[in-house]
Amino acid sequence: MTAAAEWNFAGRLVKRLGPNSCLIDAATGQTVSPADLPRLIPAIGTALLRAGLRKGDRVLIGCSLSPASALVYLGAMYAGLVVVPVEDRGLAASVAALVEATGARAVWTEAGLHGKGIDLGSVLSLEGNLAEDVAAIMPPAPCEESDLAALMATSGSTGVPRFVMVSHGNLIANTEAIIRSQLLTNDERAMLILPLNYCFGASVMHTHLYQGGSVIFDRRFMFPDKVLHAIAQFGCTTFAGVPTAYNVLLRRSNMRRIAMPTLRRFLQAGGALGRERISEMRSAFPTIRFYVMYGQTEATARISCMEPERWDEKLGSVGRPLDNLTVRIVDEEGNDLPAGQVGELVVKGPSICSGYLGDPEETRGIFCNGCLRTRDLAHRDEEGYLWIVGRKGAFVKMRGIRVSLAEVTAKVTAIPGVYECAARAVDHPEAGEALVLFIVPDEGARIVAEEIRRELPVHWTLDSVHLVSELPKTSSGKIALSSVSA
Amino acid sequence: MSDQDQILVKVREAFKTAFDVDPQLVTMDTTYSDIAAWDSTGHLSLAATLEEVFGISLDVDELNEMESVRDIVRIITPKLSKKVQSDSRC
Repeated sequence: MTAAAEWNFAGRLVKRLGPNSCLIDAATGQTVSPADLPRLIPAIGTALLRAGLRKGDRVLIGCSLSPASALVYLGAMYAGLVVVPVEDRGLAASVAALVEATGARAVWTEAGLHGKGIDLGSVLSLEGNLAEDVAAIMPPAPCEESDLAALMATSGSTGVPRFVMVSHGNLIANTEAIIRSQLLTNDERAMLILPLNYCFGASVMHTHLYQGGSVIFDRRFMFPDKVLHAIAQFGCTTFAGVPTAYNVLLRRSNMRRIAMPTLRRFLQAGGALGRERISEMRSAFPTIRFYVMYGQTEATARISCMEPERWDEKLGSVGRPLDNLTVRIVDEEGNDLPAGQVGELVVKGPSICSGYLGDPEETRGIFCNGCLRTRDLAHRDEEGYLWIVGRKGAFVKMRGIRVSLAEVTAKVTAIPGVYECAARAVDHPEAGEALVLFIVPDEGARIVAEEIRRELPVHWTLDSVHLVSELPKTSSGKIALSSVSA
Repeated sequence: MSDQDQILVKVREAFKTAFDVDPQLVTMDTTYSDIAAWDSTGHLSLAATLEEVFGISLDVDELNEMESVRDIVRIITPKLSKKVQSDSRC
């Protein structure tokens, strides 16, 4: 296959930018205008090549919620470099290990790493605004469909960094399928509170710009009312969040009192949001479409999408696969299971990545013949809707009966007075294993462990119940089970 | 030491617990932009720590207003005087 500019994902994206495409920093109002955006991305690509980088070189990009890191991310990809978006926060401490793990030839951060006592050897240290010459626009670097575009750190809760190899072809396929599933038009404006080093955050930026829309970055979600006011101020049409973000909106914001007339859709991914919370969001905003999506970094970003029209019948489902993916539910031997039976969810299609960087053994176990073994356990109903029931290995075996931890948390969260819950298994002298529950109570609710016990199936053995004010979260807002301790 | 200074000392300790920062670097002018760990998760952890340290509760509007140490001291001060009054009634 001949390398051609049209396979360059960022090149395609730049070509599709339109009169509505801009990047805005909500906190400062700083705006990259529709006139500047298609010139700045190539200009940054040019600057990176002038700095001595060559096609295929890897660049660590310290990402914060700002137009600057988005521009460098897209500019590097446009120039044929492989972007490695990483969290800007704490990068000084981890940069040497990240350079070692990814073979990066350059590191870009907005503020620079100088004065922090870091010796990067021959690795280029770049910072700030790189666009020098916006007049000389270079064409996008020719790329093959399978050429590496990004190395994305998996956002699991274990804390061990592992990088998924994402190609230009993967990005194009997933971005276009997501756009179709969410019916995005060319006047969309996404409110982005998720970082670009998280595949969900990156996919929201990709889809909105690729469709000719805009992205508004807001790093102030600790003050959720500010973000809600910014949605109104900047005319945002999309809000994307992980379950924690919706829990914060429901509990810690004045969302019911802040008018957001332009908002068309909520996107939720990154783990299961309690069914009761989805219903609360829908009843608070009956005219705004609430989409739940399921995905993995290994599948570029998204795998399935639950369309809002079917909520009343399908509450708890993660919807149907995107239209360019094939999903199978298989048993331990890899045989297809009929509708209703639980097995491992296996996905095939053009957005399935090629594997983990420098880890052929793990790659062989997860990626086989173009398929991704998700390690998620699910069943599919007669209409093709997927229902995730748990994670392979994430089980507790009590008195000989295996129960998924996902089922435990879903049941506990449904108990009145419980706002959020995490569960883990511990050894138990009689039951083999028992449950330890960490519960965030509803505002003002009084929860007694004995009442929780009564609400759960009799064969479940409870070791202990801990009432906490918050569950520990990873930087992308997922519950960090490894940090949950009594 | 004034009441405000005493509150600031405790707020600094709360910052150390929530964000693992040197309390000496926390001043009345410190804002969320100055502390990398002060993100949405960090904010909730800070709020929980302040509630525990001062024996108060913070409502949604107050959480949304706590953008700086100065804001925090402003919000906490009247709560403490109310608390003292109600404690002294017992």
